[in-house]
Amino acid sequence: MRFRWRGLALHAVLVLALLVFLFPFVWTIIMATNTTADIYRFPPKFSFGGHFFDNVRHVLDNVAFFQSMANTAVVAISTTLLVLFFDSLAAFTFAKFRFPGRNALFVILLATMLLPAQLAAVPQFQTMALLGWVGSLKALIIPGAANAFGIFWMRQYFRSSIHDELVEAATLDGCGFFGTYWHVALPSARPALAFLGIFTFVGSWNDYMWPLIVLTNPDHVTLQVALSTLNRAHGVDYSMVMTGALLAMIPLVIVFAVFARQFIKGATEGAVRG
Amino acid sequence: MALTRRTLLGGFAAVAGGALVGCSSGMDTGTTKKNTATELTMWCWPGGLGKSVLDDTIAHFPDPKIKYSEVGGDFKQKLVTTFNGGTSIPDITGLKGEDIASLLPQAERFVDLKTVGADSVLGDYLDWKVKQATTLDGKVIGLPIDVGPTALYYREDVFAAAGLPSDPAKVAEQLKTWDDFFAAGVQLKKANPKAPMVWDATDLYDMVVGQDTERYISKDNKFIGDQDHIRKAWDTSVKAMTLQIDGRTPSGKPDWNAGLDLGTIPAHIGAAWVALDIKSAVKKSAGKWRLAPTPGGPANFGGSFLAITKNAADPQKAFDVIKYMLSPDNEAKAFADAQIFPSTPAAYDKPQLKAADSFFGGQVPIDIFGPAAKAIPVAYQSPFDDAVAGPFHDELKTVQTGAKTSDAAWSAAVSKAKAIAKRQGVQ
Amino acid sequence: MSATAAVRTRAVAGAPARRRVWSYWRFYLALSPFYVLFAVFGLYPMLSTIVLAFQRWDGLSARKFTGLDNFAFLVRDPTFWQALENTVVLFLMSTVPTLVIALLLAVMLQSAVRFTSVYRIAYFIPNVTSLVAMAIFFSSIFSTNFGLVNAALRSLGIPQQDWLGQPWGIKIAISTMIVWQWVGYNTLIYLAGLQAIPKEQYEAAKVDGAGPVRTLFSITLPQLRPVILFTVIMSTIGGLQTFTEPQVMVGNSGGTGQSGMTVVLFFYRAAFLDNDYGYAAAIALSIFLLVLLFTAINWRVFRGRGEDR
Repeated sequence: MRFRWRGLALHAVLVLALLVFLFPFVWTIIMATNTTADIYRFPPKFSFGGHFFDNVRHVLDNVAFFQSMANTAVVAISTTLLVLFFDSLAAFTFAKFRFPGRNALFVILLATMLLPAQLAAVPQFQTMALLGWVGSLKALIIPGAANAFGIFWMRQYFRSSIHDELVEAATLDGCGFFGTYWHVALPSARPALAFLGIFTFVGSWNDYMWPLIVLTNPDHVTLQVALSTLNRAHGVDYSMVMTGALLAMIPLVIVFAVFARQFIKGATEGAVRG
Repeated sequence: MALTRRTLLGGFAAVAGGALVGCSSGMDTGTTKKNTATELTMWCWPGGLGKSVLDDTIAHFPDPKIKYSEVGGDFKQKLVTTFNGGTSIPDITGLKGEDIASLLPQAERFVDLKTVGADSVLGDYLDWKVKQATTLDGKVIGLPIDVGPTALYYREDVFAAAGLPSDPAKVAEQLKTWDDFFAAGVQLKKANPKAPMVWDATDLYDMVVGQDTERYISKDNKFIGDQDHIRKAWDTSVKAMTLQIDGRTPSGKPDWNAGLDLGTIPAHIGAAWVALDIKSAVKKSAGKWRLAPTPGGPANFGGSFLAITKNAADPQKAFDVIKYMLSPDNEAKAFADAQIFPSTPAAYDKPQLKAADSFFGGQVPIDIFGPAAKAIPVAYQSPFDDAVAGPFHDELKTVQTGAKTSDAAWSAAVSKAKAIAKRQGVQ
Repeated sequence: MSATAAVRTRAVAGAPARRRVWSYWRFYLALSPFYVLFAVFGLYPMLSTIVLAFQRWDGLSARKFTGLDNFAFLVRDPTFWQALENTVVLFLMSTVPTLVIALLLAVMLQSAVRFTSVYRIAYFIPNVTSLVAMAIFFSSIFSTNFGLVNAALRSLGIPQQDWLGQPWGIKIAISTMIVWQWVGYNTLIYLAGLQAIPKEQYEAAKVDGAGPVRTLFSITLPQLRPVILFTVIMSTIGGLQTFTEPQVMVGNSGGTGQSGMTVVLFFYRAAFLDNDYGYAAAIALSIFLLVLLFTAINWRVFRGRGEDR
């Protein structure tokens, strides 16, 4: 009997936490489907309303929302694909092969993780100016196309999940280095790739300071910048802003929902054990 | 992929080369590069220009086609980084009134309008406004779009219910000084505890600073933010707090919007363009608002400019465009469009401005704003004025919330402001 | 490990023991994207940041070498010290609750039998959401007259607070958002760590008659130490770089008494609003030193005691 009670109490706490975590999303939807006047009264309105499409129209009147969402999607998808490819390739090399300078290179890689990249924003901006990339989406995609965290993460995964015999067998079958990577390493690393992919996608989707600085061309703003513009407009209409916020979150939630299982597996499996 | 890598290597070589050549190269690559002549690009912020005037101008100048972009967010930051980036710099850009002083040191980014024939029209605009866009050596970098003379906006019904004068003429007569205004506030509070006279005392501070002929830095580049004229503005604001007639509701926020309609913000002091904010925020109280002169005299808030960048393909053509847009007739139209208050006094006699406004109970707004616009005190505004003013705002808020005493906050503000001033080479 | 690795290399390349470095070109090519990108967009900018920190530059006129002027000014700039204090306070106010809650949830999740994957997914969702959108959301629930937090207070009979106008209110609002966003992520990481602890240890403890609290302190926490170190370091690096939350919630000035002014926001202002690039570079270097210092402290606290591995 006592055991049962403990289980119930446990789930009560866990469910409570779940509600706390999910509440902002529910409240965002409530705000996005009501008018500002409905939100700003006491006691506040706790039910969904029918003003969602009016609010969407207001959002579209104020910022080029879909254009900026398309820009963000282009940036996030290309960055993610490049990161998955470059990082897993480098990680596989680090995990399964020996070559001169390997350890030194790996130490350098780890050290770079400590450097706060956003603090070098001024010269980074200069570099972009020299390359003529200011205002273009390239300035967001290329610098983030490979990162130390991903290589570190994937390496841990490859080390614990791919047996050396498998690599040897593939080599004996006539697969070259790249063939082994493509046919053996990648397919077996799906959960880790899902984790890294979502992690990168979300990070890129949410990047704020750098696009704020480098995307000077008004036709090329990203969603986060457009959202903050919406929020700054004079005489802010909150239900409109929250509608924008809701629209900005939907793609992320969809991507996460699709890959959630793989992702959780990747996050909990082996990765931190290394 | 190979392409990317090659580009990158090329980029790396370029960067390394650039670093070797010397540190003085860098962000200013774009200054000499001219834009293409096939398009005339124009930037402004949302609501910065009248819609009908803009459409008309675009139709009036078909060749080259005007491409207008609305740039949201922090406009000055966007503009300056675009200059530094050297690509997609507009031919014509708006400059906000609050940014103009800090952009004067960058005057070489802009075409001196006197070189493209501005002399013939400069006299049509308010003199003090043109001065704001004039460098110390006499270059004019912007033609004024609008000005922001202030007035007292108030709820006639709330004033009347509290036994205060409610007729604009009587209000003008009785609320001449800040002390009058505060005394009325105390009376209002007694009659109606839910209606603080001052919407936000820290916002009020800026109004009082704007009424003086000196600001934070003097013309000979000395820090004077610790002197009496600033302290007087500070104390005026603090007085509103200690009299407990401070509503602590900064303008433009949802709380402010709601309060205007509910009668819990019965008065606001703001520039002419605030009328648009109030009109869009309220539903029930339309027709109950009135206008009176600002207690203690008029100040100016905002009011922006159109400028031509050095990158413009055809500066003369660009000037023709802005001259057309900002003619008295078009400025009057812009006022009808979006309450953009004209910077040319000639526009004040146009029918669009002479019209009575039912939102203000049939009052004619120009009767208040027109004389105010002509009587704005001319104060020297240093390029660093805005940066130096920052700590005063932030520290005043700590007095408002009770976190610090007025004196403690004042000395913190002065020391932070002095540090910023010193950094900028102000003595 | 080295033995198998040697076998592997031979298997792949089938070459004699001593070869020229060039014969490994495939590996270097595979690694090159990261290092090239880092050199161009990471290393070079950081090196020029160092140079820039000793110069004065407004982005327009020629650069001037000013020696240590920027740093001399920095140590006397009250706003810098305040930003530093704010950042550290915000870091503590957000990281400590985040990690403690995450650890508790992870322990509970591990002992729960049902629905664990539902919980995990739900807990992680705050981490995969739009940061700016959520900053806007949190500033709305903390707004004075119409915010949800004040509505809740009022219904309990507690007077409403001016959250985003009060120095401490700003910090509470910002750290609440950070905690909400990062608990789920850290829970997952801890859960991974917990699952790696051998079951036999717990069984042995049970045989010895240890209760759940003693088990937590004598087995779980010590075993989890490397994982905790990882999360602490990641939180340190992230926490000392807080920017989006205050920028969206209280604006570029940092709000009342600049109490939401973090060092990165301070840096951003110096560089991209005041165009004082040399000063910004000096700020950047100081933040970097701060991150290093904190990482070193973390390392000592969590790893240095007793067994060095």
